Amino acid sequence: MSETSYSVLGVFDTPNALMRAIPKLRVAMLGTVEAYTPYPIHGIDEALGHRRSPLGGMVLVMGVLGALTAFGFEYWISAIDYPIITGGKAASSWEAFIPIMFEVTVLFATFTAGLGMLFLLNKLPFFGHPVLSSKAISGITRDRYALAIEAEDESFDSAAAAQALRDAGAVEVEILPAPDRSPFLTSDYILRTLGGIFAACVVSGLAIFFLTKWFPLLAPMKYMQDQPRLNAQKPSTFFKDGHGMQRPVAGTVARGYLPTATGTQDAAAALVNPLPRTKEVFAMGRKAYTIRCEVCHGALGNGMGSLTAAYGGKPANLQAQQFRDYPDGKIYWAIVNGKNAMPSHAADLTDSQRWAVVHYVRALQRAQNAKDEDLKVVAP
Amino acid sequence: MSQPKNASSLLWGAVGLGGLGVLGTYFAAGHERFWANWVLWFVLMFTLGLGSLFIVALEHLVSARWSVPIRRIPERIATLLLPAIPVGLIALGALPVLYPGTRPEAAHHPILAGKAFWLSLPFFSVRTLIAFSLCVLGLWVLVGGSLRQDTTKDPAFNIRARKFAPAFMAIFALVITLIAFDWISGLTPEWYSDIFGVYVFAGAFLSGLAATALAVLYLQDRDRLDGVKGDHLYNLGAFLFAFTVFWSYIGFAQYMLLWYANLPDEVIYYKVRLAGSWRAITITLASLHFILPFFALVTREAKKDPKRLRRVACLMLGAHVLDMYWLIFPALGAKPFFSWPELSFALFFIGGILLWIRAAMEKGQDMPVGDPFLREGLEFRL
Repeated sequence: MSETSYSVLGVFDTPNALMRAIPKLRVAMLGTVEAYTPYPIHGIDEALGHRRSPLGGMVLVMGVLGALTAFGFEYWISAIDYPIITGGKAASSWEAFIPIMFEVTVLFATFTAGLGMLFLLNKLPFFGHPVLSSKAISGITRDRYALAIEAEDESFDSAAAAQALRDAGAVEVEILPAPDRSPFLTSDYILRTLGGIFAACVVSGLAIFFLTKWFPLLAPMKYMQDQPRLNAQKPSTFFKDGHGMQRPVAGTVARGYLPTATGTQDAAAALVNPLPRTKEVFAMGRKAYTIRCEVCHGALGNGMGSLTAAYGGKPANLQAQQFRDYPDGKIYWAIVNGKNAMPSHAADLTDSQRWAVVHYVRALQRAQNAKDEDLKVVAP
Repeated sequence: MSQPKNASSLLWGAVGLGGLGVLGTYFAAGHERFWANWVLWFVLMFTLGLGSLFIVALEHLVSARWSVPIRRIPERIATLLLPAIPVGLIALGALPVLYPGTRPEAAHHPILAGKAFWLSLPFFSVRTLIAFSLCVLGLWVLVGGSLRQDTTKDPAFNIRARKFAPAFMAIFALVITLIAFDWISGLTPEWYSDIFGVYVFAGAFLSGLAATALAVLYLQDRDRLDGVKGDHLYNLGAFLFAFTVFWSYIGFAQYMLLWYANLPDEVIYYKVRLAGSWRAITITLASLHFILPFFALVTREAKKDPKRLRRVACLMLGAHVLDMYWLIFPALGAKPFFSWPELSFALFFIGGILLWIRAAMEKGQDMPVGDPFLREGLEFRL
């Protein structure tokens, strides 16, 4: 079969003739009656028996869905996932969500209206409706009014349809072939699309590269960086010595960092750890140890930290008998004053953090040298 | 024709009964409450009349054709501005009672001292008089001219009105802003919001539209608007629908900015309206003025369904009353007043407004028969 006839087009001279013909053709039941006119004709929807477009309902549903999506998303972001208090408002303030809910409602609604019309209702993409290549099309887009009887199934009788149109008053009748519904996504089409995207990327990339090279842009906003202030590690004319960063005033210690000197290590042996062995203290000690000590002394305290291999240093193996026998005070003294290559951590750790580290080191030592009674199950 | 007569005597009865209550309020319920009610109903009458006049001017401004057959209805409702003028002149008596800016203490108030001249009683009254005379000018040119055209059939009126309409828009903006800033936000002179005039405009336009829709349906029921179709109703419904959204957009924009900035002298306006019983009234207002009419009018059929449109128009008028009540009455204190004085004022003024509009509906032609575009308007199709 070379060509299926898809529809029969009848051309009328006046809109009134067209409107009179519609009911006659509809009762003939030869196929779907469709009208092609250069401008909208009042009452033609009712005459053709078009049911109400479902687009309005789709838009309403998607609009409401857009509002709910935006609300849920914002609520999750600002009240659950990353709650930051700004402006003294509760993290879940619905008032702040409304503008974005409004925008997303409009976005969902317009996309549904546009894309829903094109793809769901007009059934795009399909190229070349047969009416567009008919002989009558130039008249239809200007001053002629056409009715088409379109095939609903295989039993379409184009001769009967043509006769019916003539009987209804059509001045010209034309039989149209079936529309081209060949697949849309051919490999050729995909290749050309991808090629086009690639070419566009290359052109715009090169353009941006050379444009920014030849016409240097203004610096982006960096007011926060440029504000008048003292930067650590940077020169400054504010102080006489020309440094941005200043040493603490001689003889002063920040709150919580006392004591800074405890005499000799042997004298410090008498110090008693003031912190209780609670879960919170061990957690604090573990955190401080991980940040300050682990890089050299290792996660287990055995002196196999990640820096050991890199720099060939030999940090103390805290699991050695010598250190297991150390009183708490001597470990504390080493943290405060440093020992051998180890620098002082007095400025890095508060006093309670230092003692918490001592507890944690004790826990590490005990964990590597467990006794039989440690295996006893502690009644909860 | 016994039914209109019955309705008329019913209205007169309502006015009489309400009038007694109004007098009783003055003597028994306190001057503040009396004047707050009086100002409320003055503002309602004025916004209803001005909103209707805006519809008329809008038609001339944009040369709309569809609304020509129903233009006589907003023109008739706009004449409500005439009785609103004496009501407004009496309302000037409220100035020393309710408006802190007009009292002598204002000169020593740190914020009000700078605005003392603007808020003072003489200048306040002068501004109100200017607003009234501008309204009368608008009525004279737009409504009077249209009525005269019925007999002269002179198309020159359309040209004159089209030239006057842009000027009237400026007048309208000035008048509605003066009324909003002076009479409503003047109750709390420390507080101010740039967009307040637009907020009151949205309510005024909505109330004018709702009254127009109601009157069109009323005349249609009596077969007096031959040729006005569902297409015309659809446009009225679409306007109502669009401006419920506009009203809430403006209302929420004002609320959100004040809420965000959270400055004590600004946010107090909403603080009092979100505390105690006022909170419930605020939520009711948002539902009645936006959520309910929005969903009631959202479909295409609803906008031209006379039954639906009538209900929504009544709802919008009620919501406008609640809106103005919500703006004015917190000035009396933290507790919302609603009792026999408010009911008698409502009886008195609603009765009076309906009597006026009924009388206006009986006068002259129901359509602007002299307008050359009437035929085009009757043939309007969506």
